[in-house]
Amino acid sequence: MPISAIPIFSILRTKMQWHQERQKLLAENVSNADMPNFKPRDLAAPKFDGPTPSAGGATLALARTSPGHIGASASATQFQLDRNGRFEVRPAGSGVNLEDEMLKVAANQMDYQAATTLYARSLGLIKTAIGKR
Amino acid sequence: MDFLKSISIAASGLRAQAGRMRVIAENVANADSTAQRAGTDPYRRKIPTFRAEMDRALDAKVVGMGRTRTDPSDFRMKYEPGHPAADTNGYVKYPNVNSLVEMTDMRDAQRSYEANLNVIGATRRMIQRTLDILRA
Repeated sequence: MPISAIPIFSILRTKMQWHQERQKLLAENVSNADMPNFKPRDLAAPKFDGPTPSAGGATLALARTSPGHIGASASATQFQLDRNGRFEVRPAGSGVNLEDEMLKVAANQMDYQAATTLYARSLGLIKTAIGKR
Repeated sequence: MDFLKSISIAASGLRAQAGRMRVIAENVANADSTAQRAGTDPYRRKIPTFRAEMDRALDAKVVGMGRTRTDPSDFRMKYEPGHPAADTNGYVKYPNVNSLVEMTDMRDAQRSYEANLNVIGATRRMIQRTLDILRA
């Protein structure tokens, strides 16, 4: 049984992937902060109380029926975009609020750290169980 | 890896803001560059523009410097009859650079630059945390 099949690890992995995706969107928001007509995006938090979360789940990719096809990137996010965030447009025309984005980056980083620490601790639990400590 | 993509996106922001800073520096440095002879125009203020580019490899919108445009507003006129570029009435055209506006723009560029740096720092720490799992 691979480690990734243990529920806690698969949940933590999904969470870490979510933080990774979110960091990318936040970086996009910040780097485009001075662009007129730019609308910031954010991810909605993943839910774990529903049916089993699909860790690294199958994303819907376009089929390649001929070797000449350019592979459509399957990196389309598997997470939902958060569509009900605050949204205000500065006089410069951009909808990015730098303070808000900085807050989100910091929160994202801290939550990620919590997830990785939990992951390491869970690994430690398994090590304890097999008697290597 | 997505974290490296985050860093690349933020780096595009750094490049764009640095380019904007360069244009601002050009404006400030040339704030008093008058014409050599009467009848010719002095330095005209430049305005940096930004452009969103879709980066296919990163699968994200990165920011880049667009074409630098010139400010069509009027030149400042100063009464200096002894100046080589003075017209028949004794007025000299000075560049349409307002140092107050340039300073404000500079602060804005600086703030955006720092925000991008902040993202890079946070991403870097997240990568570090991932590597820490290996050492647990």
